[in-house]
Amino acid sequence: MAETTVTIHLNQQQKDLLDRTVAAGVAPDRIALIRLALRRYGELHAEKG
Amino acid sequence: MRTLIKEFVLEPGTGKALELRKGQILRLEQIEGGQCLDFNCFNLDDYKEFFHCGRTRTLHGIHPTRGDFLWSAPPRERAMMYILADTAGANDVMFPRCSANLYESVYGYDAHTNCQDIQAEAQREYGLTPDDVHDSFNLFMCTGVDENGRTYITRQASKPGDHVELLALMDVLAVPNICGADVMRTSNFAIRPAKVQIFAASEEDLAAVPPLRSWRTQRTVADFKVKAIRTERKLARDPDYRPEFVNTPIAYEAIEIALDAEEQALLGRLARREQYGDRDGEALRDIVFSWWEETRPIG
Repeated sequence: MAETTVTIHLNQQQKDLLDRTVAAGVAPDRIALIRLALRRYGELHAEKG
Repeated sequence: MRTLIKEFVLEPGTGKALELRKGQILRLEQIEGGQCLDFNCFNLDDYKEFFHCGRTRTLHGIHPTRGDFLWSAPPRERAMMYILADTAGANDVMFPRCSANLYESVYGYDAHTNCQDIQAEAQREYGLTPDDVHDSFNLFMCTGVDENGRTYITRQASKPGDHVELLALMDVLAVPNICGADVMRTSNFAIRPAKVQIFAASEEDLAAVPPLRSWRTQRTVADFKVKAIRTERKLARDPDYRPEFVNTPIAYEAIEIALDAEEQALLGRLARREQYGDRDGEALRDIVFSWWEETRPIG
């Protein structure tokens, strides 16, 4: 499956929040968490109909 | 069972500074109806901690009512009082207190009753200055925001017997005053007295307060780099000052995220293009933190 790379810029405070979320067991690492967030956000905002 | 400690009538044009101990209730009651009251409060042990409309508005909206708290200003941010009762349901934390300048600049008065000066005169009993008066919790005041985003005040419908009860969650100096506005709609173009009572709360009253969590960031003077209260009015630079802003410098790191086709499609659907255009990284960052805000995956 084709992959595309997106570059996201995060500062230390943003990374801290994501890393604490990872540490809580939500995802195995920061990148996995970002991808999880994208999927979960998509589920939360699924198109109707 | 509540115990009545004090009762009096607050006369038009006046206010009163009242010491309330933790666990005491201030009840402000309409006598004739239709009267706005302004309210300030301070930590009795440290007047620099005081009620903050902005913090309260953020947590409870523009019309705080029964079940809401009155919060102190940052960096303290503690619950100072709890609204035990509110029978009229018309309170406001948007509008500032009215002032002498308002009545001069709009109406041409040399002198007119106004909440700033009434508060200042009442607070003077405790050595506070006019600069210590802060924006009020406006009780019995009907306000709103119109379709153009402009705030407005309109007439009110409070009746005799309508009341607000504020339970002190710390020792406070509580300062209610009769709003001085008789040439505005605020109190239906009149100034009327109001009944003031202080009670010792009952067990039932105390049990009504939801549990409050303590936070490390509810700062006290012990946390301040400068602990002393200034006595000089003129400001002068501290030559030894070295900035110590938290978490600075803010530094961004570029992180590459490989998205599969399904995730690319998701990003394409969810990206706020009107905000970020074709900048996928910024759009993805927005999605990540929006998800976090909406779901708060950790407490």
